[in-house]
Order: sequence, then structure tokens, then C-alpha cells
Amino acid sequence: MIVPYGNVLLLAVILFLMGAACAVARRNLLMILIGVEIMLNAGGLAFVAASLKWQRLEGQAFVLFIFAVAAAEVAIGLALIVHSQRRTGSVNADHYNLMKG
Amino acid sequence: MKTILFFLLFFPFAGSLLLAVIGRYLPRRVVESIGCLTVLASLGMAILAFGSAGEKRYLLTLFDWIRVGDFTASMSLYYDPLAAVMGLMVTFVSSLIHLYSVSFMRDDEDYVRYFCYMNLFVFSMLVIALADNLLFLYLGWEGVGVCSYLLIGFWYRDGVNATAGRKAFILTRIGDVAFGIAIALFFLIFDQLSIFSINSKVSTLAAGMATLLGLLLFWGAVGKSAQLPLVVWLPDAMAGPTPVSALIHAATMVTAGAYLLMRLFPVIALSQVTMITIATVAALTGLFSALAALAQTDIKRILAYSTISQVSYMFLAVGAGDVTGGMVHLLSHAFFKALLFLGAGCVIQALHEEHDIFKMGTLRQRLPVVFWLFLAGSVSLAAIPPFGGFFSKDRILLSTFSHPEPIYKVLALIGEVGALITVLYTFRMFFVAFLKRPSVHEDFSDRDLKVPKFMAWINLPLAILAISAAAINLPSVWGGSAWLTHYLAFLPGGNIAYPVSESLEAWVEIGSGLLNVAVLIWAYFLYRPEKPTPGVMRSSLRDLLFSGFYLDRLYQIALVKPYQAIAKTLWLGVDEGGIDDRFDGTGTAFRFFSLGLQLWTTGRLSTYLRMLLLGLTVMLCMLALGWYYIR
Repeated sequence: MIVPYGNVLLLAVILFLMGAACAVARRNLLMILIGVEIMLNAGGLAFVAASLKWQRLEGQAFVLFIFAVAAAEVAIGLALIVHSQRRTGSVNADHYNLMKG
Repeated sequence: MKTILFFLLFFPFAGSLLLAVIGRYLPRRVVESIGCLTVLASLGMAILAFGSAGEKRYLLTLFDWIRVGDFTASMSLYYDPLAAVMGLMVTFVSSLIHLYSVSFMRDDEDYVRYFCYMNLFVFSMLVIALADNLLFLYLGWEGVGVCSYLLIGFWYRDGVNATAGRKAFILTRIGDVAFGIAIALFFLIFDQLSIFSINSKVSTLAAGMATLLGLLLFWGAVGKSAQLPLVVWLPDAMAGPTPVSALIHAATMVTAGAYLLMRLFPVIALSQVTMITIATVAALTGLFSALAALAQTDIKRILAYSTISQVSYMFLAVGAGDVTGGMVHLLSHAFFKALLFLGAGCVIQALHEEHDIFKMGTLRQRLPVVFWLFLAGSVSLAAIPPFGGFFSKDRILLSTFSHPEPIYKVLALIGEVGALITVLYTFRMFFVAFLKRPSVHEDFSDRDLKVPKFMAWINLPLAILAISAAAINLPSVWGGSAWLTHYLAFLPGGNIAYPVSESLEAWVEIGSGLLNVAVLIWAYFLYRPEKPTPGVMRSSLRDLLFSGFYLDRLYQIALVKPYQAIAKTLWLGVDEGGIDDRFDGTGTAFRFFSLGLQLWTTGRLSTYLRMLLLGLTVMLCMLALGWYYIR
């Protein structure tokens, strides 16, 4: 392994935190979705690195599942966003308060 | 034989089923035809069975019903002379009552329901009459109970009627429980429930067990036959349509208890204690209800109390070991009581639902046919020689009197007093209602008093049978052949246990006959025509008798009130106050708790995400710390 394991993990952590920051800080639904995607990919990166480090294939297989889940999630998420945009004319997360208890 | 008996039971059942399922879509005439023809067909089968059986006995199994391990209950029949006579009587009287009902219910909209229940009633009673297996008999027993409940409360839109139905059902249930226990004991002891084999193996019973079984059976019979102390439901059962009262009182239901004791007579006869108990309760019931009948003003209630009193003579016969005597009285009672009820139905309908005999009067001129029919019923009920109930009642009193136990002498005396009071109350009812009364003359004179001709004439066969009922068992002293005695002779208890000499029998009968006639004449002077307010009793005595010795009120105070108090405590104190409040408290606590939580659900996505991240961070930190310390 050319790149040291620790460096890859560090990259994954940085990516995850950036994604999380994006998801939390932005109000635009699209940006929140992108942030979540980045977080997912950071996790995937950590899996691949660990898989190489321990020479076990399960990690890489898991990444494939994450891709599939991410793809499905994006498909549904985008569809919901389009629908919400049509219904309310806004993609700002703070404009939705139907879930208020 | 099997086919005949099968169809004997099948016809009424099929009729009831048919009416229950598709009765509503059939025209009225068809419904009435189904109701009557099925019972008439059943009567035909009963006659056929009676004719072809002779004096033979049959033990037949129709179907296997329940089969669990060792336990089998089959729908089996035991056809012996007793069942034959009972089956004939039930189908015959029911047929006439059904035909009468067509006319009686002509203005009622619920005729489908009515005929459906009536057919089911007849079916259940036939099951009781014929069944061999006690569990099968119990099916009929309960069926009769249910049908009586349904029919007494037939006009259920009036709450009083529905209450009367419930009262009948609950009070008979008190007896049914004992009968159920007796059946379970029979199974424990004999491993089977066939009446035939129980009767043949009965000598193996231990004495104590025999007494217990006898008393349990008696208690069951008391509930069904409305003897003391469970009498109170029968007078209230008058809430139903009058033909139903006739059916309950004459052909079915109340005689079922006496019939059960006759059917299982070997078990009863084993224990002296049981016999004396039965005879004592019967004699007291007879006196009690005859006295109560003396003060009633409602014509149907008079007849109801007289039924209780007459059924008690059947019990007295069983208690004295004279099954045949009981059966003879059961038959003659069936005829004259059905006749009286159907006649009363005519009167009540003609007078536009007037039940009070003191508001009737002068019916002889206005309803001449009913007058003669009612007279026939009355002389039979009052046991005026030589009509109807005279020989049957006298035979019972005689066999009671000839019993060697000294207490039976007292019981026979009580029975005789009851019989004399019977004459008095019967003719009080008859004279007051049918003879000229100036005081009430104007009340109904302008109204038109008409009953359908058919409704009156259908009673004619009953009237003929009622006044000639003695012919079926005329004692040989009077030149009769005592046919029923010979027919039932080889039954257990079929013969009088302690025969008396014929001359004594003749003298006793002449004596009691003269006494009855004397009371009849006295009754005529008490309630003679043109007397404006006949038969005034002292009011406290009248109240006592009118209410049936305050038995209802006693039960109200002794049983119902404490029960209601307990129920109220359990309801308000334990259920609502205890359990419900605890649950409500838990619910309220959760409500307040959730009010706090409500603040957290802002509905803002960003807050949720932030909290999610915060939680994740905390969890990861804890994991890291834990990992650090474990290392």
C-alpha cells in the first residue's frame, strides 16, 4: 500500500466532517443531500482503506452496497425535492414545518 | 321406526330453520303453512310411531354427536310408552296451538319470528321427551329455556316483557346448573349418559350419591317447572303472546321438569330423602300457588298460578312413587290448561287486551262459544267429577295418602286443601268474568266483541279431550279400563306402590268429588251474578296473596339488592375507582411527559440534522474514551 493507512483515514474524516458541515449549515435541500452523499462516500473510503489494510474483501463488498444505497437514496431524495419544490415553490429546508409537534 | 322418530324430530326443526333462513322472503300464508304443517306432520309421525310401537321399547341412535376419547355422546332416542304418550301429547297440543296462532297473530308483523321460535320450541320439547342420551336431553332442555326466553320477551319493544323473558331465563338457569352437575356426576359414575342404561344399572349407586343425584335432578326440575322456591318467573312469563303461554304451560317447558323425574324415576326412587323432599316441596307449592291464584285479578296470572299448582301435583305423584298418576295428570292438565289459555286468549283479544277479570263480566251473553269452551276447561281444572282432572288428581292424592310414611298423610291433606282452593279460584275467575255484572256492563257493551270463528272453534278438540280426559285412565271401580295404567304398567314406578282397596278408593273419590262440588256451589254464592263487587277480601290478606306471598320482594331484598350492592362496589370502587383510575393516572403522566417532548419536535430539518450529528459525536467520543481506557 503506497499511501499510508493513517493518511487515508484522515482524508476520510476530513471528507466526513465537510459533508456533515455542509448538511448542517446549508438550508438548501439540494445542498443537504449533497452533504449527506459526501458523508456516505467518506465512510466508503474508510471501508476501502481498512479492507486493503487487513487484506479482507468484505470491506470492498460493503462499499458496493453503500453505492447502491446512496444511488437509491439520491433517486428518492431528488424526487422528493422536485415534488416539494412544485408544492411549495421553495427548496429551503426551514420553510417546511409540517412535522412540528 | 328409526325413520319415523327421525322425522318426528326433524319436521319442527326443519320448519324453524327454513323460517329462520328464508322466512322473510315468503308470503304470509306460506310462512303460516310451514309453521303449522311441520308440527302437524310431526303429530302424524308421533301417531305412526305410537301405532307401530305398541308396548315395545326402542333404543335408537340417530347420529354420533360428540366423540372425545372415552366420552361419546350420541343423538340417541329411547322410545318407551312414557315417551310415546309424551310425544303424542306435545305434538297434538302444539299443533292446535300453532293453528290457533295463525288466527291470533293475524295483525302482528313479526309472524315469521314467532313461528320460527314456536317450531324450535316444539323441537326442543320433543328432544326432551324422546332423548336417551342425557347430554342430548340437556340440549333440548336448554333449547326450551332459550325459546321460552325468546317467546316470553316476544314483544321486546316493551321493556317489561323483555325483563320477564330475562327473569324466566335466569331463574330456570339456576335449576339447569344443578341438572348439569347431575349429568357430570352420572358420567363420572356410569361412564356414559344413556338414560336406559343408567336406569338399569342404578342399583349399584351408593346411598349418599343416590340422594345427591336425586336432589340435583329435582332442583333442575324445580327450575324448569316453577316450583318453590323458583316459582316467581312463571306468573311474569305471561308477558308473552297468549298462545305462547299456552304452549309453555300446557305442552312444553313446565311439564318438562316433572317428565324428567318420571324418566329417571329409578334414580329418584332409590332415596327416601329425595322422595320426601319432592313430595313436601310439591305439596307446599300446590297450596302456595292455589292461595296466590285466589287473589289475582289478571286472568292470565290466575292461570299461571294454577299451572304451578297443577304441576306440583305431578311432582307430588312422583314423590309418592306413582309415575302413572303423574303422567295421567300431566296429560289431562295439558288439555285443559291449553284450552283455558286459548280461551283466555280469545277473551283478551275480544276485549282489546283487557286482562282484568273484574273489568270483564257478562261474557256469557257476548261470547257464547268461548263461554262453553271456558266452562269445559274450568270444570276440568277444578276437578269437578267426572270431568278431566278429577280422576287424575284424586289418584295422586290417594297414592300419596296410602304411602306408609306418616308425613305423606299430612302432604295428602295439604294437597286436598289445595285442590279445594283450586275449585274456588277457578270458579272465582269463571263466574266473575262470564256472569252478569252490572257495574262493568257499560264499559264494553258498545264495542264490538268479535273473535275470529276459527280461533274459538279450534279449541273444540281440546275441550272434548279436557272433559273426557278421565276416559284414558278411568279406574276400574267406575267401570273404566285404566288404559294408561296398563300401558305404562311395566315402567319403573308405573304401578301404584301401595295399592288400596277398591271400596276405599271409591269412597275417597266420592267424598272429594262431593267436597269439590260443595266448594263450587259456595263459589257461586260468593261470586254470583249481579253482585257489583264480588268477593272482597281483607286488603292485607289480598295484598299478601296477590303478590305471591311477597316472594318477589323477598328475592329482591335477599338476593337482588345485595347482588346489586356488590356489583356497584365492584363497578365504582374496584373497576372505575381502582383499575380505571390507575390506568387514567398512567395516561395522564405520559401526557405531561410528552408535552415536554413536544418542544423538541420543531419540524425543522436543520435542527434534526444538528441533533443527529451531536448525538453521533457524543457516541463516537464515548466509544473512543472506552477504547482508550480498555487499552
